[in-house]
Amino acid sequence: MTTVPTLYGMVLAGILFGLGVLGVIIRRNLFFILLSLEIMLNAAGLAFVVAGSRWAQADGQVMFIFILTVAAAELSVGLALLIQFQHRFHTLDIDAASDLRG
Amino acid sequence: MQGECRPWFLRTEREGKRAVMTLSALIPILPLLILGLGAVVVMLQAAFYRHHALTWVLTLLIYLVALGSLPFVARTLPAKVTSLVLVDPYALYFLGLMLAGGLIVAVLSFGYLRGGHGNAEEYYVLLLLATLGAAVLVVSSHFATFFLGLELLSVPLYVMICYPKAGRARLEAGFKYLILSAAASAFLLLGMAFLYDQLGTLEFSGLMLASSSPGSSHLFLLTGYGLLAVGVGFELALVPFHVWTPDVYQGAPAPVSGFIATVSKGSLFVLFLRLFGQAAIHSDRSLWWMFAVLCIASMLAGNLLALVQSNLKRILAYSSIAHLGYLLIPFLALGPSARPAVAFYLTAYFAITLSAFGVVGALSSPEHEVEDLEEYRGLFYRRPGLAILLTMSLVALAGVPPTAGLLMKFYIVTAGMEASLWFLLILLVIASVVGVFYYLRVALVLFRRPSEEPLRSLPVRLLSRGEGIALVVLAGIVMVLGVYPTPFLQFLQRVVYPIG
Amino acid sequence: MNVIFYLAGAVAILSTVLAISRLNAIHALLYMIVSLLAVALSFFTLGAPFAAVLEVIIYAGAIMVLFVFVVMLLNVGPEATEQERLWLQPANWGGPAVLAVILIAELAYVTLHEVLAAPPAQIITPLGVSLTLLGPYLLGVELASFVLMAGLVAAFHAGRREPD
Repeated sequence: MTTVPTLYGMVLAGILFGLGVLGVIIRRNLFFILLSLEIMLNAAGLAFVVAGSRWAQADGQVMFIFILTVAAAELSVGLALLIQFQHRFHTLDIDAASDLRG
Repeated sequence: MQGECRPWFLRTEREGKRAVMTLSALIPILPLLILGLGAVVVMLQAAFYRHHALTWVLTLLIYLVALGSLPFVARTLPAKVTSLVLVDPYALYFLGLMLAGGLIVAVLSFGYLRGGHGNAEEYYVLLLLATLGAAVLVVSSHFATFFLGLELLSVPLYVMICYPKAGRARLEAGFKYLILSAAASAFLLLGMAFLYDQLGTLEFSGLMLASSSPGSSHLFLLTGYGLLAVGVGFELALVPFHVWTPDVYQGAPAPVSGFIATVSKGSLFVLFLRLFGQAAIHSDRSLWWMFAVLCIASMLAGNLLALVQSNLKRILAYSSIAHLGYLLIPFLALGPSARPAVAFYLTAYFAITLSAFGVVGALSSPEHEVEDLEEYRGLFYRRPGLAILLTMSLVALAGVPPTAGLLMKFYIVTAGMEASLWFLLILLVIASVVGVFYYLRVALVLFRRPSEEPLRSLPVRLLSRGEGIALVVLAGIVMVLGVYPTPFLQFLQRVVYPIG
Repeated sequence: MNVIFYLAGAVAILSTVLAISRLNAIHALLYMIVSLLAVALSFFTLGAPFAAVLEVIIYAGAIMVLFVFVVMLLNVGPEATEQERLWLQPANWGGPAVLAVILIAELAYVTLHEVLAAPPAQIITPLGVSLTLLGPYLLGVELASFVLMAGLVAAFHAGRREPD
C-alpha cells in the first residue's frame, strides 16, 4: 500500500506543534517567540493537509490556504510591533516588559 | 470536471454539485457585507482626507445602517449561506448585540482619541473590521468561519491596543495579547484538524463523540475536543488560561479594553455555545467535567484575585473573568431556559461593562490612563455624574438590586436549577459574595473625601457629547433591565430559543 | 513513497528542534526554512501538490523572507560586520546544507523515478482545490481578504515612527 497512514502524519504535526509550544515557552527573545508561533501554525496546517488527504477532500488544503493567509497577516503586524518594541525598550527581551505586573 | 465554465454569479442554484453562492443568498449576511464595505469606505475616506470627526461620523453611520438591516434579514430566517454560515434567530440577536457593542465602543472612543496626537482614523477601520470578525463568529457554523472570524477579530485588536502611540505599557499589552491570541488560534486549529481527521467534515453539524469510520480513534477525537477547549479557554480568559489578561486590560486604552471584554469575549462565547452545546457532544461526561472545572476555577479565582488589586482596570479584568465563569453555568445546564439566560446575561453584561470602561475612558486620555484606585478617591466631589455612573456599574457587577446585575445572576440560577447543578450554584453564590466586597470597596473609594487637596488633580477632559449620551443610555438600560425585564425577557424567549 | 515521507518528516523534526534552539536569529531562520521545505515534500507525498507549492512559495518564500528583513532591520552597530564574517564559516551553514541535500536527493528520486505512477490514494489537483475554494468556501476567501486588509492597516499604523 502506498498511502501513508494518516496517524503518522498527525503524529508529525503533533510533534512539530509541541516543538513550537516549547519554543514559545523557553525563549525570551520576542523574535524567537514569533518564530515559534509560526511553527505552531505551520504544524496545524500540516495536520489539515494530512486530514484532507485522508478523506480525499480539498477542504484540508483550503483550510491550509486560509491558515497561510492569516499567518502572514498576523506575522506582519507582529513584526511591525517588534520593531516598535526594539525602538522603545532597546532590547527584544520579553522580560524587559514587566511594567504591568500586579 | 470540465463542465461548468460560467462565472459563479451567473449560475443557477441547481447547477453544480457543490453549493454555489447566488445573489439572494447574500441577504442573510447583509450586516456582514455592510460592515465589510463600510470598512473599505472608511479606509478610502481616511486615505484621501484625514479628518477625525468625519471618520467617526461615517463609522457610526455604518454601524447604524448595519443595525437597520437586521429586520430585513429577520424575514429570511433561518438561512444557511453555504455550509459556512448559519443565520438563525439565535445568531441574529447576538449579531445585533455585537453591532450595538461596536457602535458604543466607537462612540466612546471619539472623546478618548480626540486628545491624542496619532492618526485616529485607522482605529475606526480596525474597529469595523474587528466587529465584522465578531459578527462572523456569531453566525458561524463551520470551522473555516470560526477560524477566519476569530482572526478577523484579533488582528485589528493587536494594534488597537497600541493606540495611538506605542508607549511602553501599550506595547507590552499588545504583545502579550498577540502571543496569547496566536497561541490560542494555533491550539484551536490543531484541535479542528484532529476532529476533521476523525469526522471527515468541518461543519459544526457533523461533530460527534464517536466516529464509525474505519481507522478512527477515540483518543484522537477526545484530544481534538480537548485542544479546542484549551484554545477556547485561552481566548475567553478562563482560569487557568487567564494569566496575561489583566495585563492586557491594564495596558490597553479603556475603550479597547471595553471592546475586548464585551464584543470579543461575547462573540466567542456565542459560538462556543453553538459548537459545544450540541447534544451529541454535551453528553460526554469527561468533556462536561472539564468545562465544569474551568467554570469553578474562573468563578472563584476571578473574584478572589480581584481582592488584592489596586488598579481599576485590572479589577474589571478579573471581574470579566469571573463573569465568563458564571456564564458557563447555563452552558453546562443546557436546559430550555439556558439560551435566553445567556442572552439576557450577555446583554446586561455588555451594558454594565461598557459603562464601567466608558467612565474610565471618559476620565482618561491617551497620555494618561486614570486607572489607579488612588486617583479615583473622592471622584464624587469632582465629577459627580461619572462617579454615580461608575458606582451603578460596580453595583450591577456585584449583583445588587435594582440593577440588572441581580436579575442576570437570577436567570443563570434558574437555568442551573433546571439541571440540578446545585454544587455549581452554591459556588456561584459564594463567589458573588466575595465579589461584593471588592466592588463595593471601589465604590466607597469614590465617595471618600480626599484627605487634603487632590494631590493629583485629574486632567479635566470635557466629555464629548456622544460619550455623555452613550453613558446615560447604558445606565438606563442597566436600570430598566433590572427593574422591568419582562418584555425583554419574553422577546428573548421567543427569539433565542433554539430551533429544532 | 512512505520512505520519502518518513525521511522528510525526520528532517522536519530535526531542523525544527535546531531552529528553536539556535542563538543566532539567522541560523534559526535557515533551519526553519529547511523545515518548511521538508513539510512541503511531505505534502507532495500525501497527494497535495498544490499545498506543497504554496508552502514553498508563501511560507518559505514570503513569510520567512519577512523575518529575514526584520533581522536585517534590527541589526545595528559594529557587531553586525563581525557577525557577517562569522556567519560565513562552514560550521554555520553546514547543518542546513546537509539537511537540504537530503531533501534535494529525495526530490530528485521522486522526479527521476516517476513515483507518481503509483500515486497515493488520491491526488487532489490544484483544479480540485480551486473549485472547492471558490465554490463553497467563497465566503472564506472574502473573509481572508478582510483579514489581510486588517493586517495591512494594522501594520501600517504599528510601523510608524512617532516623533518622540
